[in-house]
Parts: sequence; structure tokens; C-alpha cells
Amino acid sequence: MPPSRESMQNRGDEDEVCPVCKSSRYLNPDMQFLINPECYHKMCESCVDRIFSSGPANCPVATCHKTLRKNRFRKQTFEDINVEREVDIRRRVMQILNRREEEFDSKRAWDDFLEQREEIIANLVHGTDVAKTEADLQKYAQENMRSIRANQALEAQEASSFQARQTQEQELARLRREAVRQEYENERRELLAGREDVLSRLAAGRPGDAATIAREGQKVLLKKSSARRSEEDRIRQKQAALRNSDARKAGQSGTTAADKAGDAGDTGLIKGLKRIKTPEPEKPYDPFGGMVPDKRDYYTLQDFYPSSYLDPIRQDTRMQAGGYDLREYYSRTLLEAFAGLGCFIDEEVSEREAANTDTAATEGAAIAAASTSPAGSA
Amino acid sequence: MKFFIDDLPVLFPYPRIYPEQYAYMCDLKKTLDAGGHCVLEMPSGTGKTVSLLSLIVAYQMHYPEHRKLIYCSRTMSEIEKALAELKALMKFRTQQLGYTEDFRALGLTSRKNLCLHPSVKREKSGTIVDARCRSLTAGFVKEKKERGEDVELCVYHENLDLLEPHNLVPPGVFTLDGLLKYGEDHKQCPYFSARRMMPFCNVIIYSYHYLLDPKIAERVSREFSKDCIVVFDEAHNIDNVCIESLSIDITENSLRKATRGANNLERKINEMKSSDAEKLQSEYSKLVEGLREAEQAREEDQFISNPVLPDDLLKEAVPGNIRRAEHFISFLKRFIEYLKTRMKVTHTISETPPSFLTHVKDLTYIERKPLRFCAERLTSLVRTLELINIEDYQPLQEVATFATLVSTYDKGFLLILEPFESEAATVPNPVLHFTCLDAAIAIKPVFERFSSVIITSGTLSPLEMYPKMLGFTTVMQESYSMTLARRSFLPMVVTRGSDQAQISSSFQIRNDPGVVRNYGNIVLEFSRITPDGIVVFFPSYLYMESIISMWQGMGILDSIWNYKLILVETPDAQESSLALETYRTACCNGRGAILMCVARGKVSEGIDFDHHYGRAVICIGVPFQYTESRILKARLEFLRENYRIRENDFLSFDAMRHAAQCLGRVLRGKDDYGVMVLADKRFQKKRTQLPKWISQAMLESETNLSTDMAVATAKNFLRGMAQPFKAKDQDGISTWSLADLERHREKQMLEEERARRQALANGHGANGVANGAAAAADEFDDDIDDDLMMLDAQ
Ligand code: SF4
Ligand SMILES: [Zn+2]
Ligand SMILES: [Zn+2]
Repeated sequence: MPPSRESMQNRGDEDEVCPVCKSSRYLNPDMQFLINPECYHKMCESCVDRIFSSGPANCPVATCHKTLRKNRFRKQTFEDINVEREVDIRRRVMQILNRREEEFDSKRAWDDFLEQREEIIANLVHGTDVAKTEADLQKYAQENMRSIRANQALEAQEASSFQARQTQEQELARLRREAVRQEYENERRELLAGREDVLSRLAAGRPGDAATIAREGQKVLLKKSSARRSEEDRIRQKQAALRNSDARKAGQSGTTAADKAGDAGDTGLIKGLKRIKTPEPEKPYDPFGGMVPDKRDYYTLQDFYPSSYLDPIRQDTRMQAGGYDLREYYSRTLLEAFAGLGCFIDEEVSEREAANTDTAATEGAAIAAASTSPAGSA
Repeated sequence: MKFFIDDLPVLFPYPRIYPEQYAYMCDLKKTLDAGGHCVLEMPSGTGKTVSLLSLIVAYQMHYPEHRKLIYCSRTMSEIEKALAELKALMKFRTQQLGYTEDFRALGLTSRKNLCLHPSVKREKSGTIVDARCRSLTAGFVKEKKERGEDVELCVYHENLDLLEPHNLVPPGVFTLDGLLKYGEDHKQCPYFSARRMMPFCNVIIYSYHYLLDPKIAERVSREFSKDCIVVFDEAHNIDNVCIESLSIDITENSLRKATRGANNLERKINEMKSSDAEKLQSEYSKLVEGLREAEQAREEDQFISNPVLPDDLLKEAVPGNIRRAEHFISFLKRFIEYLKTRMKVTHTISETPPSFLTHVKDLTYIERKPLRFCAERLTSLVRTLELINIEDYQPLQEVATFATLVSTYDKGFLLILEPFESEAATVPNPVLHFTCLDAAIAIKPVFERFSSVIITSGTLSPLEMYPKMLGFTTVMQESYSMTLARRSFLPMVVTRGSDQAQISSSFQIRNDPGVVRNYGNIVLEFSRITPDGIVVFFPSYLYMESIISMWQGMGILDSIWNYKLILVETPDAQESSLALETYRTACCNGRGAILMCVARGKVSEGIDFDHHYGRAVICIGVPFQYTESRILKARLEFLRENYRIRENDFLSFDAMRHAAQCLGRVLRGKDDYGVMVLADKRFQKKRTQLPKWISQAMLESETNLSTDMAVATAKNFLRGMAQPFKAKDQDGISTWSLADLERHREKQMLEEERARRQALANGHGANGVANGAAAAADEFDDDIDDDLMMLDAQ
């Protein structure tokens, strides 16, 4: 059993005295305290050496009879021993329950999972229902070995890529700093040189020239500085471009990492996971986007339509000599007549707004488009 | 007097107007018409506030939109002054128009200044007043009362509920004092009257923080519509205000208190679980549903509100792992413990928010998402628990705010952990500075929300700097010069002592006995020739102390003592105000006095030395910032990388705006006069960075003087100033009557006409204008690098 909360509450304050040998930091300024994650009782380094050097022994704290080993002793990270313990437990639980947000159906399911995980940790920390919770955890761990591993790998990958990005950024910042200093120094040197030049020419020249020389000096300076400025701009643009491309690269590697999170399935413990989807096999490419080119929705084409206007043509061999077929004419005319009926403007607009894909036009529009071109050429 | 700007009739409450006031108003109107932001630099002592108010009120009254004015100022006394001006203006308008307009204007300041509750108002600290007031006014307290429990309420607050909610105070202008008096007479709380009447006011005057500090702005200023006119007066330091409002310092002590707060909360939760579990459950289910508690009944009793959060976050549900109250407490505790471990540093560390977050996650498994919701979750919890003594939770709230900020912004912030408070300290007292580097973050919502934001002050040069730093575009940038009938102030740059040795406060020579003596001589000579008061500004307290003790050793102080009383500003506010009082007395009774103060201290910012209170101001050294500071270094780097502002440019700009502030202290009106001495050889090149009205008044021959020459010039000047000078002499030149104004407008019209004709005649005539300016600006500044060398050393 973990020690009760009350007994640990005031532990943080009595930093100064070892509860086992009662020696105090006052006498021994570099006294170090160690704890063992078995029972989290604190004692000084020399006590640990003294008691546990010859192998496992019982905890010297009066009410505690845990058997402790020397190699498990470590320094305390957090001042509050409760937090220390909680973090240890949390580490263990988090390693098992390491589902990721993208594996869940909805945000709600993810949040429920988070809460459930907190609940489990709290149970373990406060010692309620420990046996059952542990059993559940073990069971889950065995059943979901693969996904746990995969997620761990992902996490490690993310961490390392983040690290890499950080170092890269730092390096870039350093370079930029360097460049600025360089620039600054160059400027300064130029200025000094320019000044000296003017001075020496003043010294050599005739008194009447003084004003001209000074003016020239000024002009040179101006020219240089404007040249410098354009140079600076160029460098800056380059730097900015560099930075952008870096960012893009980093972004890409990030997405590929996230994409790999694949296998999942509802387990007994966790609810709301996404079903595993087997990707549908890809269909052959369809240039009409699902539309059948010869399909007629509104009419059926007949072979013969009575018309006094067309009668002479039907008879006239001259007309048909070149291969002219009246059926062509029928199909074209009818298509044109019905062309507009396939367009449902509201539908089309709402569809476009929803999907924002203008690649697949509606059937009617496509038919109309397909029909106008032969009509024009005939 | 009454005149027109374009079609807008303006009533100006004085019979005469300064030419620059007229120009200022014209530009203001243009800005308002165009709908955009502007930066206007108006010389100090030329009636900026009154011109601003009379134009905007005229604008409000004339056009049908009735755009509301939100006028922000820095201090309570400035707010009071503006309200008084507004009151006079409205009185004048009533007289002129012959009827009273339907107009309301109120000022708002903290509860501490406006409270009437007999025991609450006696509390010294503002936060305690706030907290106690909340415990007397919160919605749930009232509910308890209605249920018959024995709880105390504030009568002044209760009485408000008996009044019509949109008419708590009658129309008109209330100064803060006036409001207090009205509240006392009618037994109603002035603070809440002002707060609740804000939507019904034409003009609101309050402090910057109500707009800039996101924690307050959210609560107080949320309801204003887009077309409000926002004015930031005395805005030369606005970037620092922005940065401070988002920066947080955390110490070991505050963490200890935060832990205590968290433990208290835990206890309360347990109590509530046994007594009233329903409430916790209902909070929980609300959070599960992702329902934002729709700003319940009284938004006023909210305990904390969130620092700037992106809108999408506000619509999201609280993450699952902090939904339950007990989980949230354990989360907070873990985070606080983590911060405690960070406090055990041995050397200074600076860290970006992303790397901090990774470290948090490695050690405590706290993710970014729940951290972002920290502040909000805490608010909700505190509200559910119906806590009364909220002031105990202040440190916890700070930690929560920090958590939210650090996880919301990747850029523009930096964490700096310093184990020691100061360079010399040996006992570790670690501080975690979470500093905002980007002034634009805090002010961005203001620029986005309001169509016209006006930034104005006496010293804003160089004007381009502000739009750059704050990330906005202007439709108007203007700096006005001062029209004077006589040369009433004498700015000079003293570069050498009487022995011709150069003087400067740069690090190499600042403690050189020769330099110190020369500085001493300047002060001594001026104390001999100047009547009444002299104000001397030093770059820092440290330097002031060392130089004064050296003067003591050289016997300079004793000689000064023969002419003037010597008084010194200290970091302690009470001591300083006592010194100031003595100084005033000595100036009034003819003994004369010298006040030694610091260019970045309280005196340089808020205290006027008009007339005999300041006949000379001496700026000893260029008031650069302390460049060794980590925070400053980080900010400089940020400015360079993101806004293309070079370190030197920024440091120099910052030093000169403070110098200009100091100089402006002695000239508070057109009938005032004074000498302004800039004593450092580096000022010679930097003078172009002074506000236009000062640098224009500086003669070329007075930019490179030695002490004795400066003294001779000043003597001459002071003698001239002592001649009688009648108000009549200013007429038509530096003050205009209505007739002068008309004449000016006619002339302007003629000129415009001519310009138009000329422009037509020669198509394009805009070449060859910008040449002259470029040459002056390119003068390279090689003196500053003494101070900058250390910057590169990092
Ligand atoms: S309601 Fe007003 S008077 Fe009452 S305590 Fe609060 S601030 Fe003071
Ligand atoms: Zn021991
Ligand atoms: Zn033990």
C-alpha cells in the first residue's frame, strides 16, 4: 500500500533532517536525499549506503516494511513527493495508453479517452480499485501491443524531428546574427576609409577645392550606402526564401509522420476509436467523371420523325451522297433542345460551394459542351 | 470661437487658437474622414487635448453616425485633466448653441479610486479592494442573501439595481471627483455606475490598460462598436505598455503561494463534493458539451478573463483531461511543481516557448492543449466554487495565465530564467521572466477592431518607428512645429567642458574624474545664472549615485549649495514626492533649487515643471537603456529579425525619446520659457532624432558648444526673456484670433489654387524634393557602438 496522503503532506518542509539517521544539513552541508519508487520514503545517501549495500533490505521507516534495493534509489525531481509519485505512475500508464487524437472518431471521443486515462491514473495514485485497474491495463497492453509500439515509434520520431528543427533554427539565428555584425563592421570600415580619403585629398589639394572635395566625399558616401542598401535587400530576400523553404521541408516531414498512424480498432477499454478502413481499390480512370456520354435522360432517339420539311431531303440522293445521315441531324437537334434541362443551377452552385471542385461539371452541361462542337463543325 | 473645417463647424472654447492647433485639427478630421490610423506629434504645451476634444466632439455632434470616442491616457491625473477640459468645452458649447446637447462623458479608473464603501475604500492595495468588492457584489453572494443566508452586500452596489439601467447618472460630463460626489449624494457606487453606463456614453476616458491589457480589455471594452474613435494620448511609451501587459514574472515565492492556492482549491472541491456535488456535476456536464458559459448574468464579477486567445479556441470544448475539477487541480499542481524544478537554475537560461513546452511534456506529461485552456478552466472552477476571498488565488491565477500564454504563442515571446536578481547578488533569488518581445501582439486587436486609432504625444520622433513596431499602417503621420512670437526656449548641445575636453556618459569615460568635473561645472554654472528651478536628468540611478558622490568629494555640491537647494529623486515613491514638494516650495520662495532625477524615472514621465518650477533642464549623458539586460537583448534581436529595425536605431530612438520627454518637461505653454541643455558629445549627431519642434529651434551654431559658451548664450537668452512680454505681441503670429484664422484660410485657398494651376502647367514637378533629406539621414552613427560592443559579446 502506498503511504496515506496525510503522512506525506508535510514531508517537503523538513528538508533539513534525514528521517532515518537524524543528521541534518546543518552538520553535513552536501547531504543528498534519495528516494525509492517502491515507497517514496526519503533518506540520506549515507543511510542508503549503510543499509542497502549488502543487498536488499527492509525500509528503515518504522511503519513501512517494503523490501528495497539499492539500485532503485534515485534523486527526487519534484519537491512534492505526491507529484513525484504521480508522475511515475503517469509515465507507466501513458506508455500503455498512448492513443493519438487522429485515431479517434470525434473530438468528443478523444476527450472522453483523455478523461478516462486521468481517471485510471487517479485510481492508481489514490489506491482505489488498484487491482482491477491494473488488470485492465495489462489486458489492454497485451491486446494492443502493435498499436502501442507503433505510436511509441511515432512519438520518438516526432520528438527527434522537433529536436532537429530546433537546432537548425538556432543555427540559422546564429548565422543571421553573424551576418548582421559583419554588415555593421563593413559599413563602419567603409565610412572610416571614406573619411580618411577625403582628408588626405584635402591635405594634398589647393585651398579652393576644399568645398568640392567635401561634396564629392559626401556623394561617394551616399552612393555607397545606397549600393549597400540594395545589396542588403538582396541578402535579406535570399535569407527569407531560405527560411521559407526550410519551414516547408519541416512541414512535410511532419505530415508524413502523422500519416503513418494506421492500425486501430475498438478495444474493450477504449471507446470511440476509428474503424480500420481498408482503402477501396482504385477504379480505372474515367475521363467523363462518372457520366455516360451516350445516355439520354429525357428522350429516346427514334429512327424516323415525320416532317414535311425533311421529306424532300430523305428522298434526295444528292443530299445523301456525301454520307449525310438524317439520324445525325435528329440526334443533334434533340440534344440541343434538351441541353439546358440537365443544368440545375442551385444544385450546381451548392455543390460547388460544398466541394469547391469545379472539375466535374454536371451531366447536362457536359452533354451540351460535347454536343455543340460537332454541331458547329457539321 | 467658432470656425469651419471643410463643412464641419467647430466650437473652440478659447477666443484664440494656436496655428498648430488648427493644423492638428485639420489633420485629425482628414484621418477620421478617411477612416484609418494616424500618428501625430504635437509640441508639448500647445493645447493638444483641448484641440483633440473639441474637434472630435464637433465631429460626433455634427455627423449622424455619432461615433463614440474612447480616449486613453496614462495616469489618473491626466484622465482627470482631460475630463475637466471636456467639461469646460461642453459648457462652452451649451452657451454658444443656446441649448444643452444630449451628451454623456464619463471617466473610468480602478475601484480603488472610485470606491465608496466605508471599509473597503480604506484598503491600500488595489487588488485587495477589487477582491473585497467582488466578495460584496458577486452574483452568487446576492443569491445567498436572497436565500436568507447571512452575507454582507455593498449597499452602494445594491442601490444601482433600483435605478433605470441606462440612466444611472444624468447626462453631462462627470469628472472623477464629480462622479464620486454624485455617488456619495445618491448612495450609489461610482465605479459600477461608470462601468455600466459605458455603452451609453459619447466619450469615455480611461487608462490604457482597459484597452491594451487583454485580461481587462476583454471584460471592460468588449462591447464597443467598430466605428469608435480610439485615442492614445501621451503614447510615446505605448510599445512598452503593450509589452508589459503580456509579460509575467514568476518567483519562488509566488509559486509557493500558488501551491497554497491549489491546495485550498482542492479542499474546497472536496467540501463541495460532500455538500453540493450537483454544482460540480453541472459544471462538468457543461464542459463536456463544450458550452461556453454564456457570460452569465453579471459579467462584472468575473474573476479572471483570458489573455488574448484566438477565436477558434474559444469555440472549442475544454480538453478531456482537465474537465473534472480534481483532475484539473492535480494538473495545476504538477505544472507548479514543474516550474519549481526550473527555479533551481545556476546560470541564466533563455528558452523559446516551443522548447519549454517540450521540456514540460518530457518531465510531467503535460501537453500543450490543456495548458492553453488553463486560465479559462480556472475561471470556470472559481466561479463554480463560489469563492469569496479571491485575492488568495492571485498567484495561482498568474501561473494559469502564464500557462495559457506560453502555449498559445510560439513567436514573440521568450522565457528567461535568471538565478540572481541582480549582477552583484550572491543569494539566489530565481526569477522566471516570461517576456513579450512583440509590442504588436497586445495592440493588434485594437487596430483590428477599431477603424480609427489615433496615436499622439509631444514626442513621437521618428514617426515611422511606431507603425513599424506596432504593426499597423497609417493614413496620416505628422509632426507639428511650434510657432513662437519670440524664441522662448533655448535648446543647446554641450559637447565640451570649459577645458575643451569632450564630455560623454559612454562607458569608457563616464567615471573619468575630468568628465565628472566637467559635468559638475555645467550644473554649477547654470545654477549660478538660472533663476528659480533647475532639473537635471541622469541616465540611471546607478550613474546618478556615483556621480553625486564624486561631486561631493570634489566640493562641487558645496558650491552649488550656495546658489540652490539640492534635491534628489529616489526609487522610493514617497521619498521622491517629498523631495518634489520641497523643490516646489524652494522654487516659490525664491531660494531656488536643483532637482536631480533619472531620465526613465517617475519625474521624467509625469511631472510638469512649468514656469519658475523649471527654468533650465540639463540632460547629463544620453539616456540609453541598460544593454546588458537579457530581456532587452532578446527584444532587440526580435526587432531586427522581424521588423528590420537595427539594434542601434532602436536604442538610439529609445534614448532620444526619453531625452525629448525630459526636455519637454520645462516648457508647458507658449508663455513659458526655459533653457534645454543636452550635455554629451553624442547628442550632436543625434539631434536630428529629436522631435521636429525642438530640433527646429536649435541653431546650427548651438550644437557644439563648450560649457562657457553655453553659459554665455544662456545668460543672454535669460536676460532677453526677463523683458516684459505681453500677450498682445503673440497675436497673429503664435496665436490667432478668428480674423487671423480666416486670413490664413484665404491664403491657403489661394495657394492651393495656385499650386493646382502650377501642377497643371508643368505636369510633373515632384522631382528633386527628397534629396536634401537623404544626405542628413545617412550620417553614420559611430558613437553608439561603445555601448553596443557588449551586445555582440553574447
Ligand atoms: S460596489 Fe462600489 S462602493 Fe461597493 S465595494 Fe465595490 S467599489 Fe466599493
Ligand atoms: Zn540518514
Ligand atoms: Zn518505506
